[in-house]
Amino acid sequence: MTILSAMKKSAFNDFTLVLAGLLLASCTNTTVDEFRQGETGIESHESIVILGRRQASDYETRADFVDCVGDQVNSGSDRINVVPEQVFVDALFPWFEPRTAPLRTQDLERLMGEELVAEKIDEFGIRYIVWVDGFTETTGRSGSISCAIGPGGGGCFGFGSWEDDSEFDARIWDVDQLASVGTISTDATGQSYLPALVVPIPLLARVEANACSSLANQLKSFVNGS
Amino acid sequence: MTVARGFAVFAIAAILVGCGASSVTIEGTYPTPNVARLPLKVAVYYDPALRDFTYTEYSETGREEYNIQSGQSHVDLFNAILPGMFEEVVQIDSLDQAAGLGVDAIFEPLIEEFQLALPQKTRLDVYEVWIKYNLRLTEPDGEYIADWVETSYGKTTLESFRSSEASINAAAVIALRDLASSFTLKFANVPEVRDWLASL
Repeated sequence: MTILSAMKKSAFNDFTLVLAGLLLASCTNTTVDEFRQGETGIESHESIVILGRRQASDYETRADFVDCVGDQVNSGSDRINVVPEQVFVDALFPWFEPRTAPLRTQDLERLMGEELVAEKIDEFGIRYIVWVDGFTETTGRSGSISCAIGPGGGGCFGFGSWEDDSEFDARIWDVDQLASVGTISTDATGQSYLPALVVPIPLLARVEANACSSLANQLKSFVNGS
Repeated sequence: MTVARGFAVFAIAAILVGCGASSVTIEGTYPTPNVARLPLKVAVYYDPALRDFTYTEYSETGREEYNIQSGQSHVDLFNAILPGMFEEVVQIDSLDQAAGLGVDAIFEPLIEEFQLALPQKTRLDVYEVWIKYNLRLTEPDGEYIADWVETSYGKTTLESFRSSEASINAAAVIALRDLASSFTLKFANVPEVRDWLASL
C-alpha cells in the first residue's frame, strides 16, 4: 500500500465518521401539546375534514401538509374517514374560501343556517372540522458549496447547514355541538446538513414529516376520544 | 465554415429565446356555487376586452418578462358560477342581441386592472395576483341598473420544484375563485341591485 492510497483511505474513513455523526445529529425534536375543551368520539359512518387556514397575509398553510395529516389520519387500524380538503371546499363553494371561511364557531353556527351548506355537510357525514394553521420556517443557513466542471469531470466541495422549524396548530370544531372541542399544537425542529466531497450528500432532518405524523397521531386519538 | 455559421445562428436564436417573455395562459376549474338561485333570466356579455385580456409584466430593466392571458379563464369562471346564481343564463355576442330574448337583465364583467407581485421583486416568498373588476348590470334595453367594482386577490407560496409559470397560474386561479366567492355572496347586497330586485 502506497502512502497516497493510505492517506485516501484515512480521509475516506474520516469522512464516513463525519457522515455518521451528522446522520445522528440531523434528528428532529418534536413536541405535541393537547388542550381539550369537550368530550369527543366518532362513529364509523361519520367523517372529519381537515382544512388549512389561509387568511394570514405573510404565510399560508400549505395544502401538502394538510393532505399529509389527512392521509395519516385516514390510515392504520384506528383510522378515521377523512374527506379530502379540495373535494370539501369545492362542494361547499363559496363558503370555505380564504375570505369567506368561518373564523369562529359562531360563524359556523350562522353558516349552518344556510340550508344548502347544512345539507352538504350532512351528506359528507362531517362530525368534526379540523382547522390546521402553521408553517415551516428555515433559519440559520450557513456554509457554502462550490461546484466545478472541467474536461476531466466535475465535482463539488463544501458544507452547508440550516435549521427547520415547523409550528402547526389544529383546532377541532364539533359540527353537532357547534363548538370548539380542543386544540393540538405541534412544534418540530431539526438541523439539516449538506456535506459535499465530489458529490453533495443531503442529510435532511424530516421536520415537517415528523410534525405531520405527530399531529395526525394525536388528532386520531383525540377524535376517537381515547 | 457552414458548421460555425450554423452554430452561431443557433446560439443567437437560443439567446433570443432566452430573452423572450414567458407566456402564461391561466387555466383552472371552477366549482358551481352552493347558493339559492335567483328567479331571473340573465344574459351575459363578454366584451372582447375581457375575452382577450392579456397582462404583461415587465422586468426592472423594462424587458417583457411574462405575458399572462387570463381572458378565457374569466369566461370559464363566469360560465361556471352564473348558472348557479340565476335560474336561466344565456350568453350573447352583442348587447343588442338581448332585446328579443326576454331576459331580465344583462350582466357584463370587465377587468380594470391586473397586478402581479413576484418574489424576486417583493423579496417575499409568495406570488401574488390582484385583479380589479368593473361589473355592470343593465336592463335589456341598456338602461342602467348597477355598476360596481370588485377586487380579488390570490397568493401562492414559493415552492422548490414548481416553475414561476405554474405559481403565477395557481395564484391567478385563487384570485379568480376569490372573485367568484365575493361576487356570488355579495351580488344581492349591492345597493342598486338590492333596490332593483325589490322592484321586480
